Amino acid sequence: MSTTTAQHSVSADGADRLPVLTFGGILRSEWIKLVSLRSTIWCYALIVVVGIGFGVLIALTSPAATAGGVPDAIQGSTAVQVATLALGFTALASVVLGTLVITGEYGTGMIRSTFAAVPTRLPALFGKVVVFGTTTFVVGLVTIFGTALVTAPILPGIGVTPNFTKPAYLLALVGGAGYLALVGVFALALGAIVRHSAGAIASALGVILVLPTVAIILSAITQAEWIQSAASFLPDAAGARMFASTAGEAASSGFLAPWQGFLVLLAWDAALLLVAAVLMKRRDA
Amino acid sequence: MIEARELSKYYGRKKAVDAVSFTVRPGMVTGFLGPNGAGKSTTMRLIVGLDRATSGSVTVNGKPYTAHRAPLREVGVLLDAKAIHTGRSAVNHLLAVGATHGIGRKRVDEVIGLTGLDSVARKRVGGFSLGMGQRLGIAAALLGDPATLVLDEPVNGLDPEGVMWVRSLARQLASEGRTIFLSSHLMSEMALTADHIIVLGRGRVIADAPVADIVALSGGTLVRVRTPHPARLAELLASTELGTQVQVHASSSTIEPDVFQVSGLDAARIGELAASAGIALHELTPVAGSLEQAYMSLTQDEVEYHAGGTAPASEGAFR
Repeated sequence: MSTTTAQHSVSADGADRLPVLTFGGILRSEWIKLVSLRSTIWCYALIVVVGIGFGVLIALTSPAATAGGVPDAIQGSTAVQVATLALGFTALASVVLGTLVITGEYGTGMIRSTFAAVPTRLPALFGKVVVFGTTTFVVGLVTIFGTALVTAPILPGIGVTPNFTKPAYLLALVGGAGYLALVGVFALALGAIVRHSAGAIASALGVILVLPTVAIILSAITQAEWIQSAASFLPDAAGARMFASTAGEAASSGFLAPWQGFLVLLAWDAALLLVAAVLMKRRDA
Repeated sequence: MIEARELSKYYGRKKAVDAVSFTVRPGMVTGFLGPNGAGKSTTMRLIVGLDRATSGSVTVNGKPYTAHRAPLREVGVLLDAKAIHTGRSAVNHLLAVGATHGIGRKRVDEVIGLTGLDSVARKRVGGFSLGMGQRLGIAAALLGDPATLVLDEPVNGLDPEGVMWVRSLARQLASEGRTIFLSSHLMSEMALTADHIIVLGRGRVIADAPVADIVALSGGTLVRVRTPHPARLAELLASTELGTQVQVHASSSTIEPDVFQVSGLDAARIGELAASAGIALHELTPVAGSLEQAYMSLTQDEVEYHAGGTAPASEGAFR
């Protein structure tokens, strides 16, 4: 420490300005944390590779080719479907990563370093949400539009001419990326509440994979229609409407519109983040 | 400057910190001593707001830690070497922590150089030894060039060279006018490093004084006695006119069971008493009171976890 002759003699970044805690700085910090871990790179790579690979596979093997062509009315929605079909799998990678973003810090003790630097805590939580949410959204966009681009020359082989000029189709592609990000943020919030990787991942997957199945079984047994309508408000079911390929076509009754699905998932995220924020403020780190 | 006022922290019904008040002043090294479970680490976590106080308050430079605009510039904290994500490299850890305050690459490289981590800076923290983790924790504490340093067991896991480095670093930073607050189990280390000592036992402050005063508290000068009849001599010394003030401390060495230390009597008096009772003495040496001794006598009633049930055996008085 050659220059520390007085308390403030060293300006840490070499400029004259003294270091101060800012939300911009917190965002930078969270970005460095996110990209400096292998799990992040693996999860995002998985999303891109599985997303595009699955799209190509479907485009090459779709039975539509042998069924005498695809009706004009659903040409566009079929192309959307091909580009977003893998989201059922890639969402799981987003859920795992979203959870690890926060539980990884609790598990290793890193959270104490984080809270020592950001003692008011909540800016750190929101910084994580913003950085992880935005990054995942961009990775989702790259994957989905990449899939659309790669499958474009293949689709005519099965009688589909991709045409995304209709705003509803474009919105569905963007909505797919939004779903990927929001589902991940849902898991992040759950992780902030549960604080243990295994428990948080299990509960997130439970909500996303198991609850809808339980709802289907229950409604099949009881014939109760309300269970089915309630199930459409579950985070995953609502979120999946964001990239519904029937968007633009007559939205069949009983389903949420894409923007409604978006708002429902957003509300889930907000509610969980609120609980996480209250607990984070209150608990010892 | 750290000021704790009636600071308490309960975990359920257990009082980890019990209405503790103390002031840690700038320009000196303040040692924080106490047996395991005395509440040292909890107190340090309360200072930087990682634990919420049940009651009372603690301020750093006049404000609660959470109220500062640049917390890392006010307090650098090492709570334990494991407060670091194991999957990240040392340099990325420091960059991430520093980024919150706009602290950049230049300062990160400085603290890496300062803590001797250059060769491992790009390696993942998961593979670090305890000592390297400790150095990285200290590097992170220094990032903001803070006016106050709170270091929990900073020499834990360090080699002798590292221990000396921490000692001179603490002394140097204190001489620059900073507030240095460090806990340690190594009493001898504290004697060399600290100017002032706060002793904690079962969540309460049991001593808060300059090092010299703490040593004096132990009864001052000790006399080392070697005799083939330790039990008889102990009985004899305890029955003298000064019996209530005389303490006979059994040897901590199993190799030399015939050696023990006496406080409260000078060497001449012990020699005369032994001669009149016909007890042979093989050695009679006055030794300076040690901080270790002071600490043991201060905390012998406050130890939370006794080893086996005979503790504090090694230095305990058998009167």
